[in-house]
Amino acid sequence: MSNQFIYLSILAASVGTYFCRAFGVFSARNIKTDSEIFHWIRCVSIAIISAVIARIILFPVGILSETSTSIRIVCTLILLVVYFSFKKNVIFAVSSSAICFVLLNHFL
Amino acid sequence: MFSSQSFKDGVKHAIGVPALGLGSSMFAFGAFLHSAGFDLYQSFLSTFFTFALPGQFVMAETILAGGTLLNIFLAVLLTNSRLYPMTVNITPVIRNSNIPKWKEYLGAHFIAVTSWFNFFAVEKSINQEDKFDYFFGLGGFLWANSVLCTVAGYLFSNLVSHEILIGLVFINPMYFLVMTVSNLKEKKLICSIFLGAVLSILLNDLFPGWSVLIAGITSGTLGYFIFRKEINE
Repeated sequence: MSNQFIYLSILAASVGTYFCRAFGVFSARNIKTDSEIFHWIRCVSIAIISAVIARIILFPVGILSETSTSIRIVCTLILLVVYFSFKKNVIFAVSSSAICFVLLNHFL
Repeated sequence: MFSSQSFKDGVKHAIGVPALGLGSSMFAFGAFLHSAGFDLYQSFLSTFFTFALPGQFVMAETILAGGTLLNIFLAVLLTNSRLYPMTVNITPVIRNSNIPKWKEYLGAHFIAVTSWFNFFAVEKSINQEDKFDYFFGLGGFLWANSVLCTVAGYLFSNLVSHEILIGLVFINPMYFLVMTVSNLKEKKLICSIFLGAVLSILLNDLFPGWSVLIAGITSGTLGYFIFRKEINE
């Protein structure tokens, strides 16, 4: 892989990503916050994010795919249990889950 | 009229958990690029111009797998297409007649899952005319912090073990998940979230590249129409 190809790849990735954002601004030009479409698009947005998270946990690509599915599921459950047990403390929940993830990957 | 106080409030909001959650994964991404043979400028430019981690990983992996520029463009477009509905959703909320169009398009670069969730968590408590500047401060800080963390990850990757790097990558989806479950308030959102997760898993084998989009659009539409009568808070 040449340096020039990597720079062109970054450009292609940037254009592809910014297109999604810019087209979103363009598409929203006539949408009002009290309209039906606004509430529908909110549901779609959050459903897509939820779908992305589920996919990352169960079918990850990249370095997370080096870890076992059962460890990822256990640490996700730890996150949720800690979050709801400790007054929805985000830092405590995320750090507990991440620390358990590192430890389980190390020892199992 | 630019409100520097709203901008500063947005920056303050970003400092702490949001910056840490996203920054840790950007650090791991920088380290990953180092190990994959990219140079420092390429790591910097990737986050500077893309600022969407799943798409950045897809770009790097498609390069390493020997993909063409078209492969990379389409793979990143598909992966980051979630940004389209998120932008359509947030733009009418932050819009204000004093904000020029070019600034709206510039601000769109700061739309990411972390900035989107964190903005909507406080949006109702911000005056309409201040919302754009608040989001600009929040998203802009997260973007700048992500660029710095990518560079730091690249430079200091030798100091961190591979196991810790994997742990840092895991922080981001966990943080997203916490932000998502914090939205379990309206029935239509609860339904959309659960259906989205379940459908994306079920559809993964059938449509590996498209499962997230299909699951998201189907689940969001079902959640919306099933609970359409629910009062919008």
